[in-house]
Amino acid sequence: MAGKSAGGSAPKPAVVTTSGGPPILKGRRPSPRIAQLKRTWYFLSRNTLALIGLAILVFFVGVALSQQIPSAHALPRDSLQLFCGTYTGLGGGNFTQLSAGECTVVCTYATGQPPPSPNCYAVDSFNPANVPPTLSLAHLSGGPLPLGSLTISSNGNLFYSIYDGFLVGAQWSLFIAVSIVLAGAAIGLALGAVAGYLGGLVDELIMRVTDIFLSIPGLLLVLVVLAAIGHEFSTLAGRVGLLIGAFVVTWWPGYTRVVRGQVLVTREQKYVEASRASGAKTGRIILHHIVPNSLYPVLVQLSLDVGAIPLLIGGITFLGYQIFPTPYFPEWGTMSALSITILPSALTACQISTSGAPCMFPWWQLLFPGLIVFLFAIAVNFLSDGMRDAFDPRLRR
Amino acid sequence: MRMWIYIVRRLLLLLPVIIGVMTITFVLISTLPIGERLQSYYGPSKFGYAPTCSTTQEGCVCVTPFNGTCPNPAYVRGTSALGLNKPIYIQWLQYMKNSLTLNWGSTDHGSKASGTLLGGSTIPVTTVLSYYLPYTLELATFSLLLILALAIPLGNYSAVYRNRPLDQATRVMSFSGFALPGFLLALLLLLGATILAGQFQTICNGQSTPYFEFYGSWPPTVCYPGGVGPTWIGAYYQTSPTGFPTVDALIHHNWFLAWESVKRQILPALTIAYGSVAGILRFVRNSMLEVMNLDFIRTARSKGVSESVVVSKHAGRNSLNVTITVLGLTFAYFIGGFAIIEDVFNLKGIGLLLAYSIQPSIDFGLVFGTTLLFTIIVVTANIIVDILYAYLDPRVRLG
Repeated sequence: MAGKSAGGSAPKPAVVTTSGGPPILKGRRPSPRIAQLKRTWYFLSRNTLALIGLAILVFFVGVALSQQIPSAHALPRDSLQLFCGTYTGLGGGNFTQLSAGECTVVCTYATGQPPPSPNCYAVDSFNPANVPPTLSLAHLSGGPLPLGSLTISSNGNLFYSIYDGFLVGAQWSLFIAVSIVLAGAAIGLALGAVAGYLGGLVDELIMRVTDIFLSIPGLLLVLVVLAAIGHEFSTLAGRVGLLIGAFVVTWWPGYTRVVRGQVLVTREQKYVEASRASGAKTGRIILHHIVPNSLYPVLVQLSLDVGAIPLLIGGITFLGYQIFPTPYFPEWGTMSALSITILPSALTACQISTSGAPCMFPWWQLLFPGLIVFLFAIAVNFLSDGMRDAFDPRLRR
Repeated sequence: MRMWIYIVRRLLLLLPVIIGVMTITFVLISTLPIGERLQSYYGPSKFGYAPTCSTTQEGCVCVTPFNGTCPNPAYVRGTSALGLNKPIYIQWLQYMKNSLTLNWGSTDHGSKASGTLLGGSTIPVTTVLSYYLPYTLELATFSLLLILALAIPLGNYSAVYRNRPLDQATRVMSFSGFALPGFLLALLLLLGATILAGQFQTICNGQSTPYFEFYGSWPPTVCYPGGVGPTWIGAYYQTSPTGFPTVDALIHHNWFLAWESVKRQILPALTIAYGSVAGILRFVRNSMLEVMNLDFIRTARSKGVSESVVVSKHAGRNSLNVTITVLGLTFAYFIGGFAIIEDVFNLKGIGLLLAYSIQPSIDFGLVFGTTLLFTIIVVTANIIVDILYAYLDPRVRLG
């Protein structure tokens, strides 16, 4: 009988908690934090939008992780693989030998015909080993060029696969976003907890500094930091590190302010008072009581910001600042900014072709990179909105 | 507390923030090589800003020739004037003095801003900014009005019709507003509007010109009536007498340009508003939900006040406060988008100046100047918001 009560596996009648949470089986009681986590998950799992967001995020993370496994064609990590060719429309057109001699053609085929082989692409003659991957969105289109291909040069003979960029970009984008947010949150938690708990002069000092940082528009501060110290870094690791650093410099004040606001509430709780009464040192109280209990609002803010990072990187790239060592870097934000640089020439091409052949506007070049960034950001928004509702008892319905 | 005391106190608090922001830019500027710092302050020099110059260069006069190179006069004069050969706190004091007296350096050559906008001339940064600031202010005002016009009614009615189609639509709108890249939305709007207008290309005065109906702050010169631009638009796109394009066009009774100027601000303002309304809507809706449960709403209803009046007059007064508060909090985000939007629509404001000053080579004088100016706009807007808030809610200034 003793084992029965410890295991809690017997079908005892469920007890509904007073806070309106999920039924908790009578028996071994989980620790309060685990119980809170379970309660949060219960409310989160009833929010459809949050679940959709979670599913999209799990998919993106899965894509990023699956790329760690060595695959048949190892995609380059530091630059998008460039293809050669000429584009004359989705439904037709041939690859032709380019006069520059930079590209040789593997095969040509006529308008309306299916590709004779999966490898029907132009190959970089300077680097013949750069055979394009055999599996890509290209084969869904049946066109001469990959559906996911993206014109990146103004004369329109260089392409890269958006699909490959999506795969490799998943790693870079998630890595960069999570690093920024974790580093920013660590600083914010430390300073916010100290400012909120100690109060007085320390609080005043820290908060005035955050005020100063918060009054500079975020995008501009990142840009100015990158512009000012960018020339010091040229390696891939250096540039990525600089990018992360620039974002952390910009975002730590936001986290500090959020944490401080929450700490002001937390420090008045009974358990903190009890801990203080039992003689705990300030460091211990902050570390063991204040920080863990002020975590939730930061978590919501964190997840929101993760989604904004590719958007901001795209914005900076769009403005013309090259963040990464190579201009065609496989990162989602960079890709979305690259995708629209072809817009004027595509429009001009369509403008000219209205007199002759029908113009196929390369809509997929605009759609897919933007869609990736959009889906990532909106998934994160859905999830953090659900989390905010789940964490805050007043918002539960 | 009297209102003016509140305002004065609020203005005094502005000074440490401005000094702090200038300190941040000082720290960033100090990481630059001395040559770059001198160039961003004095503009290009015929000697360059290397420590030494060659005697073969005209004007490079050596007192004591040594190995054919001698101290570069531009370098020597510059470092002593900016205190670059002195300890860092002296440099900081000198920088603060220059910044507070509006000596923000000069424009450089080699950036798109100098080539495309300024005709390759070296102009003090503050002068350039004064040419381009009014356009951004006009666009910001326009966008703010649009935000107020959208956020308050949408927020109110999504609270009233909670969980009904209108509420769901605004929810989708506010989520997508966060998630859509600004440049993509702007380009899609530009593209859509151009296609709807049916004109990638317009014939103006018999000349065919690649002309976007909604691109650029003014039409191309050939499209003006008579084919000649008015004299009140200066070489650097600054207009006289006020600098605000629409206002100036109206002053000069040029109805064509006034309409063109307004028309070309509709899409940018919409793009900016879409991103900002997203953030404000949720706050307005949630505060409205709280207010609708308060006693005075019940009283108003029981007096027989019609529901629409209850929503717009009684409960709605509160949404204005919320909107203004949230606007103040998100103003930095709002104004940060201007660089991208003005770049997409090719509007002659300080955002475009910033976008053009980082490529192909960086014009540090302009980059830091525009950043400082944007920050000053944010801080000023925050003060205006605070004062407005104190005016709308007496508890703030009395408490």
